Amino acid sequence: MSLCVLDEEKFHLCCQLLLQLSEQLGDGWSWEGGQEGYLRKTALRSVVIDSSSVWDYEGGGADTSCPSLSEQQEGEQEQAAVDASADTDSIKGDMEDEDEDDGVCVASAGSSQLLQYEYHILHSCSYSTPVLYFRACTQEGRSLSLEEVWSSVHPNYRLRLQNSPLNTITMQEHPLLGQPFFMLHPCRTEEFMRPVLQAAQDQHRPVNYVLSWLSVVGPVVGLDVPLKYSTLLHPAPPPRQHRARLTPSPCVCQHHCGAPLYGSCITNPTIRG
Amino acid sequence: MSDNAESPTETPKEESQPPPDDTSTNDEKKKIDVLLKAVGDTPIMKTKKWAVERGRTILSLSQFISRFLKIEGSEQLFIYVNQSFAPSPDQEVGILFDCFGSDNKLVLHYCKSQAWG
Repeated sequence: MSLCVLDEEKFHLCCQLLLQLSEQLGDGWSWEGGQEGYLRKTALRSVVIDSSSVWDYEGGGADTSCPSLSEQQEGEQEQAAVDASADTDSIKGDMEDEDEDDGVCVASAGSSQLLQYEYHILHSCSYSTPVLYFRACTQEGRSLSLEEVWSSVHPNYRLRLQNSPLNTITMQEHPLLGQPFFMLHPCRTEEFMRPVLQAAQDQHRPVNYVLSWLSVVGPVVGLDVPLKYSTLLHPAPPPRQHRARLTPSPCVCQHHCGAPLYGSCITNPTIRG
Repeated sequence: MSDNAESPTETPKEESQPPPDDTSTNDEKKKIDVLLKAVGDTPIMKTKKWAVERGRTILSLSQFISRFLKIEGSEQLFIYVNQSFAPSPDQEVGILFDCFGSDNKLVLHYCKSQAWG
C-alpha cells in the first residue's frame, strides 16, 4: 500500500519537523549520526517492576480505574441503542463509572525504581516505516531484561502484549550501533497508520508520519509525546467556547491606546500621551 | 459546556458529592460530549455520542469502548484525535476537548486491529 509507505527521504523530513517542534517544547529529541542517522531521546521513568505479570504504573498521575456498567445501565443503554437506530447521533449515552473494577490495573507489591530510558527512532527499509528502538537501565547501570521490559508496558497494551509478546517487543541488534536494544516490532505500523494517512489524504492536509506514529507507539513503552506537539500543529479553531483562551493581548504601546490587538494601535501621540 | 477557559483544578477522585455551590472543584465531574466514529471495518457503536466526565482518561474510554464492542484480548483498539494522532492513554478527555473540541464536542475516531502481530 503506497499510502502507508514512508521512504527514507520523507522519514528525514518528518524527523526534522519533529525536531523543530521538540526544540520549541524542550522535549529533548536530537538527531544523531548524520545522513544515515536517527532521532534520540533519553528520559527518566519511575516504574514498579516485579517478577509477576502484575504491574502498577507510577508517574502517570492518571485515572486507571476501569469503567464498569451496572447490568441495569447496560440494559438501558442497549435499549436506547435499539430505539436510536433511526437517528443515532442525537441520542446521547452517559458514560458512568459505576464501581471499581478489577480489570488489568492491579497494584503490585514491587518497589518503585527510577530507570533511565533511551529511545531511538530509525527508519526501517524493509518495512518502509519508522521503528522504535530503546534500552533501559537502572540508576546503578544494570540493563533491564526483556521480562522486566514486558512488565513495564502500559496497562492499555499489556493484555495484547501477553498474547504475543515476542511479536511486540524483542531484543535486537541496533542496525547502526550494533548494540543490543529492545525494539517495538513494526509489522503493525501500516494498520494503525492507515486511518490517519487516509484521512489526511481525503482531507488534503499534511500529516507528520513520524509524529503520528510516535503518538501511537510511544505510550506503549513509556515514552510521553506531549499533547503540545499536536496543538502546535493544529491550533484549535475559534468557536465561541474558546474565545476566552484565544483572546488576543491588548496593545501595550506607550500610548496606552487600549487597542484590542497587540501592536495594532494608531500611534497617535495625542491619544492619552 | 462553555467554560473551558478555566484551568482544571485538582480534585480527589472519590465517590462523595463535591460541595454544590463551589463549581471550580467540580471540574472533573463536569461532562463533555464525545462523538465516537468508527474507522474502516471496525464495528460501529450504536450509541455514538456520550457524555463523559472531563477527568476520564483515554485508557478508561478505550476500555469502555472495547467492552461495549466486545473486543477480544488479541485485538487492540486505537483511538485518534483529529484523525492525525493518538492521544496518550493517560490523557484526560477534558483537556482534549479544550484543545481539539469543536461544535461543543470532541470527535474521536477509533479503529480495531490485530495487535502487534
